[in-house]
Amino acid sequence: MNALVESGLWPYLLVIAAGFLPTEVWRWLAVIFARRLDEDSEWMILVRAVATALVAGVIMRLVLIPTGDLVAVPLAIRIGAVAGGFLVYFLARRSMLIGVLAGEAIMVAGAYFTAG
Amino acid sequence: MLLCRANSCAACYEVAVPESPVRSTQTNSESAHALNARQWYARGLFAGVTSVQGLVLFASYIGFGGLCAGIGFPLGAAVFSSFLVLALPSQLLLVGGYVAGNGALVIALAVLLSAARLLPTVVTLLPYLRGRGRLSVQLFAAHFVAISIWVESRRHLPPLAPDARLPFYFGLVTVFNLGCVAATLIGYLLAGRLPHALAVGLTFLTPISFLLALTRNSRDLVDYFSLAFGLALAPVFAAYGGQLDLLWTGLAGGTAAWLIHRLRKKARAA
Repeated sequence: MNALVESGLWPYLLVIAAGFLPTEVWRWLAVIFARRLDEDSEWMILVRAVATALVAGVIMRLVLIPTGDLVAVPLAIRIGAVAGGFLVYFLARRSMLIGVLAGEAIMVAGAYFTAG
Repeated sequence: MLLCRANSCAACYEVAVPESPVRSTQTNSESAHALNARQWYARGLFAGVTSVQGLVLFASYIGFGGLCAGIGFPLGAAVFSSFLVLALPSQLLLVGGYVAGNGALVIALAVLLSAARLLPTVVTLLPYLRGRGRLSVQLFAAHFVAISIWVESRRHLPPLAPDARLPFYFGLVTVFNLGCVAATLIGYLLAGRLPHALAVGLTFLTPISFLLALTRNSRDLVDYFSLAFGLALAPVFAAYGGQLDLLWTGLAGGTAAWLIHRLRKKARAA
């Protein structure tokens, strides 16, 4: 098992076993149980809430506990880029484009001026 | 439109119909007679190439490619995931879990929980993808359903004649799927050639745009609560949650948001 994890094949197996299958199973279930489902039921609201919290969590994790390129950027700038993007998004009347550009500007400028 | 001009004939005006969703179904069934499945497939390809939704999607996948390069997920596996998984949140959790050193089972559970929201999108699209009712065809068609495809299909498919929908849909998903694969490749290769600061920006593109998209897509208070709880709990569980921190974040944050939503609903009813 360890040899497998360390081999170059591991990420591909991970894509199939941990990415493809757990995603695909919902598409299959939908085809099979199509008629017995209510989009606005309380269960579906719970499903949506857990999915949202998961994705929010993974974003926060990537920003707070970075790997690779982002490691070189100080924590204050990483948090500032997220907070700034958020703030400008709301100030710009919920424009996603302007929010993303603002967050990116902070991150790129921060990376430019702090990197040796 | 270009195709129309190339073989100018009376039927061409009918052929142009699927672009505008407001025309009557009668005109559409006439045009279905004028076109065979292969031509409808070509129409779907054309709709995919000219789709604004598609451009936004490809931009996100360039960001995903950049993210994978930035965090050290292998190029081949990144491209493979875009080809096979076709759901950016799943792919984000996959590579996020990989770099966090999580085991396959933990990542699979996180992806399973997050991908559950694909279920209603497939269900609402299925009436248009039944074809001749063959289960294998339906499963294959369902494989390509993701949020962008859902948006474009809901716009294009309903006005088409039943026989035209499936080939048109397969044309559309061909462009979207291959486009995402190409965009991942481009983003990944780009990240290696950019100056450090810009590579950082490319790595950051997926997190920041996902965060704002989640905020924009929030409809009710339960959405905002689950977003806020997810953000707030992530560092707590990352520090104290051990291997399963991401799962705890999703389950605890999502369930807490849902419970608040239930309590408010009860309070209102009372």
